[in-house]
Amino acid sequence: MKKTFTINISGTVFHIEEDAYEKLQNYLLKLKNHFGNDDEGKEIIADIETRIAELFLEKAKGEPSVVVAGWVDEVIRIMGTPEDFIEQEGEEEPLAGTAKRKRRLYRDPDHRVIGGVCGGLGAYFNMDPVVLRIIFVVLFLINGIGLLAYLILWIAVPKAVTTAQRLEMRGQEVNITNIQKSIREEVDEVKESYQKFRTSDKYSKGQEGVSKFGDVVYNVLKVTLRVLVVFFGVMLILTGFFGLIGFLSTLIIGHSFVSNWPLLWSPEFHMPEIMNHFVNPGSLTVGIVAIAVLVGIPLLAVLFVGTKMVFRYKSNNAVIGLGMVGLWLVALLTLVFVSAGQIGNFKNRTSLSSSETINCNSCQTLYLELGEDKYDSYAEADFDMERFKMVSVDGENILIGQPRLNVEKSGTDDFSVVVRKRARGKDQDEANSNIQDIVYRYVAKDSTLTFDPYFLLGNESKWRDQTVDITVKVPEGKTIFLGEKLVEIIYDIENVSNTYDADMVGKYWTMTPEGLTLKGAAAPADSLIHVN
Amino acid sequence: MKIENTKAQMRKGVLEYCILLVLDGKPLYASDIIEELKVAKMIVVEGTLYPLLTRLKNDGLLAYRWEESTQGPPRKYYELTDEGREFLGELQKSWNDLVEAVNKIRNHRA
Repeated sequence: MKKTFTINISGTVFHIEEDAYEKLQNYLLKLKNHFGNDDEGKEIIADIETRIAELFLEKAKGEPSVVVAGWVDEVIRIMGTPEDFIEQEGEEEPLAGTAKRKRRLYRDPDHRVIGGVCGGLGAYFNMDPVVLRIIFVVLFLINGIGLLAYLILWIAVPKAVTTAQRLEMRGQEVNITNIQKSIREEVDEVKESYQKFRTSDKYSKGQEGVSKFGDVVYNVLKVTLRVLVVFFGVMLILTGFFGLIGFLSTLIIGHSFVSNWPLLWSPEFHMPEIMNHFVNPGSLTVGIVAIAVLVGIPLLAVLFVGTKMVFRYKSNNAVIGLGMVGLWLVALLTLVFVSAGQIGNFKNRTSLSSSETINCNSCQTLYLELGEDKYDSYAEADFDMERFKMVSVDGENILIGQPRLNVEKSGTDDFSVVVRKRARGKDQDEANSNIQDIVYRYVAKDSTLTFDPYFLLGNESKWRDQTVDITVKVPEGKTIFLGEKLVEIIYDIENVSNTYDADMVGKYWTMTPEGLTLKGAAAPADSLIHVN
Repeated sequence: MKIENTKAQMRKGVLEYCILLVLDGKPLYASDIIEELKVAKMIVVEGTLYPLLTRLKNDGLLAYRWEESTQGPPRKYYELTDEGREFLGELQKSWNDLVEAVNKIRNHRA
């Protein structure tokens, strides 16, 4: 029992045994190499294929039968091989078009499960399509990249329809050695034409020399260009591939397994979760998809261009290009709409002040200190927002804000602390509730006030431009000491000597009628003697 | 110099002439042309004919039309164009001249 294939020659369907098929394929490949790949060559091949179909039909005598190797041998004998043509035409050199057939990527309609992508890739890379199918399925199960890649290839890669395309599908292997080889061949060509130019130059001058020189320049340029294109293409493939994997994985799984690529976020932070702090849940999913498309498409384009540069396959560029640009614009518009929707959430601003008098009638000096930074040891996101920080605590991301501390003259004889919280919301109520959610603490103990370095937005609250301003009111004649660490939160404290914030800490300041005045020399920070 | 090569060169020169001659007056499709040429032992393998037909067609000497076939693929029927007929006339003349020239030399020697 022999395996048979079904083939289509010039519109007629034949069943053909495996060995006969191989033979016929080799023969047609030889003819193609002989006649070349231009329109004329294609027409000749098409005519010959028609004749072959006719000869097979004659053989079959109208009965359903299978093409066997003997038939193919006879057909080859009747039609002749390229060697016969050369002999009969009496030419010493083979015709133009002997260039080796480059392998091209096609979808294989004969070995397909869905679109023939894996079959075509298998033919291209000389791999068993089953292996590729498994890889695609696994990639799909992990994160969907498999499906995406498959769909793109399905759209981008043409189906092998004609015999010529089927042959190209399995033509000369494309691997590093062959790319190297073709480049080397081109280099040799350049050398040769340069040699010719050198030798001819001595004898003939003028027109011929000029045109030869032109050839040399052309060939040098051609090879250089090809090398550059391959190199550039490989770079593009790498950038596109890793960029895409990195980007999608930060977006979907939340961490990237390709670290240290410029596009990626810090591995412990997870794009959707970060967005969660700013955007309403409904718009969030839409926004994420839009961002994925917005960033993904250019990366895909890079990948696509790269593969085209290296492998030179045919595809319908216009359709793919326009499709991608269209999709990209849709994503852009979506993102603009989502963002516009978010702006409404910032429409109203409100503030809430609470004042507390510090019960410390007898103390002359109030010590202001900064509390322990309990988030210091946690991972911090690279996050560029004024006075806000994103920290990761036990896998959860928390957005924390920094308060601002000011010192003013008190209207009464007592020290007092005013905490003013502000937030925005889409209406007054929401702004108020956002304020209520803000958690900020300071502790008054004896003559020491300890301020938390951060305020929290509260459980479910999103970032709505929340701020916390602390004002310590100092009565005339009394003194405050600013702890060294306070430098982190003090904000533009007015004083008589116009000392900068950073230089104010670690010192005693007395409230005089003119304002805050430096008291004597700086006290050492570690000798905090409480005068009580 | 191989004799085969010389013979091939000679045949190649007149092959185009023979194709035009076969097609003079009646359109034929490739297999018919092949039959005629094979009978006259002008070609050995059929593959030789197709590039020639294509070239003659591209040079405007031949034209073809498709005709459905009861069995097998549609056939290309070739026929001479006006230019082809003119060309054939020229070739006839120069062939006669050649034959005359060769005969003259042969007779002179004999």
